[in-house]
Amino acid sequence: MIRFENVSKTYKNGTPALRNVTLDIEKGEFIFLVGASGSGKTTFLRLLLREETPDAGRILEAGRDIGELPKWRVPYLRRNIGCVFQDFRLLPNKSVFENVAFALEVIGRPRSTVESQVPQILELVGLTDKSKNLPHELSGGEQQRVAVARAFVNRPLILLADEPTGNLDPANSESIMALLERINRTGTTVVMATHDKALVDRMRRRVVELDRGEIVRDQVRGVYGIDEGVAI
Amino acid sequence: MRVYLRYAFKETFTNLWRNRMMTVAAVLTVAVSLSLVGSALLLKQSAAQASAQWQQGTRVTVWMQPNASSSEIDSVKTQLASMPIVKDCQYFTQAQDYQQAKTLLPADEWSVLTPSATPSSFRCIPTVPTDAFTVQSTFTNQPGVYQVTAPEQQIRQMNHAIRILQIVFLALAAVLLLSATVLILNTIRMAIFSRRREVSVMKLVGATNWFIRVPFITEGFIEGLLGSAVAILAVTALHTWYPLHNEFALNTSALLGTNTVVLVVGVVIGSVGSSIAIRRFLDV
Repeated sequence: MIRFENVSKTYKNGTPALRNVTLDIEKGEFIFLVGASGSGKTTFLRLLLREETPDAGRILEAGRDIGELPKWRVPYLRRNIGCVFQDFRLLPNKSVFENVAFALEVIGRPRSTVESQVPQILELVGLTDKSKNLPHELSGGEQQRVAVARAFVNRPLILLADEPTGNLDPANSESIMALLERINRTGTTVVMATHDKALVDRMRRRVVELDRGEIVRDQVRGVYGIDEGVAI
Repeated sequence: MRVYLRYAFKETFTNLWRNRMMTVAAVLTVAVSLSLVGSALLLKQSAAQASAQWQQGTRVTVWMQPNASSSEIDSVKTQLASMPIVKDCQYFTQAQDYQQAKTLLPADEWSVLTPSATPSSFRCIPTVPTDAFTVQSTFTNQPGVYQVTAPEQQIRQMNHAIRILQIVFLALAAVLLLSATVLILNTIRMAIFSRRREVSVMKLVGATNWFIRVPFITEGFIEGLLGSAVAILAVTALHTWYPLHNEFALNTSALLGTNTVVLVVGVVIGSVGSSIAIRRFLDV
């Protein structure tokens, strides 16, 4: 599904963000990206979205080298990738329904599709009764569920989540994780960058740890990491 | 396609309405600058036309001595008729010139004049206005010729003044056009900036660049269109009501041409300004 081959990326200011990263992600996998701030997690996600291009190496998505993609094809690539962020990124002057519908409208889906898909996805995230509310009338957890609904309404093959629980309390984090798992069970590949140790430890999914741009660990049923406070 | 047209239409008018103060500012800016541009063009045409009329009216007059012999008069007449640079000549007899002097000169001056003391004259129109000078130099000091007068100096000065006027008008028009473009660019940039969140979400979920771009370009286009419409009204009003001297008055086709220029320029700077403004925001 996703394949990184010796990918390196250095930003203009000279700091290396990724160093010779090679990684395979299978279709339908659920994978955690962990590591300290600045370890390259976000760069990894930005490369997948082709918001950045690698300096060296290639990235294959569904068998295609996305570095070779002409610029005008990039939007079509992104239609297969859903995105969730720590800060939700909802449009404040649009209702819950409109926020989700927006994602379909701007890729030219007909109104009939919008009217059948949006209620369905709002039911999935449990916000049917809030569809007319504006984002600021919702709790953080609810807002993030709207963001997940928007990311998933187009049924993408891949869902990227950049610290989706970073602004949420444990209960809300829990409901977001349940939602991501549910989406993952439909066959969608989920890549989630996180700092949330408890979550990762409990989920027991594949964990890839980055440190200063390099993969230092890739565990199939991993935990967040060895607690540095504990003497060995 | 139909879905998109409806979307683009809705977006454009929502934008125009939501940022209505900016819309009004942009439209007024375009209107004011294009009104000035249009007026400048109109005045330039007036000046050019008046200049052409003055030049057509250029005459060179060969005054004969009051006591010139008829052979001397005939000699001048033949020479004038054979000159290709002289289009047309009329001979005014002493009596005719005396009658004209009566109408032109103050009473105390023409009362001392008698028909026999009045010079007869050839009133000639040169083919090209500036040939008046050649005629002047040819006949001055010929036997029987009293004086050759041509409004040479005045023509030169007038032409010079008109040329400077035209340059000033055009320079003014160019500067105003530039400022109108920059203002539209700025307005659209602000419109995009106020909606950058939406634009970033659109890019995130895979909206194509054209999809994002078109409503903003339409917005600039409409602002340019409205601005030039107001400017056309202003230019037409100027043309209709401003009391221009006869020689400056322009016909309807000149007005129509100017208005077409105003309209095209308004629409073009609206679209081009917004295209430039949005380019930076779509750079991924």
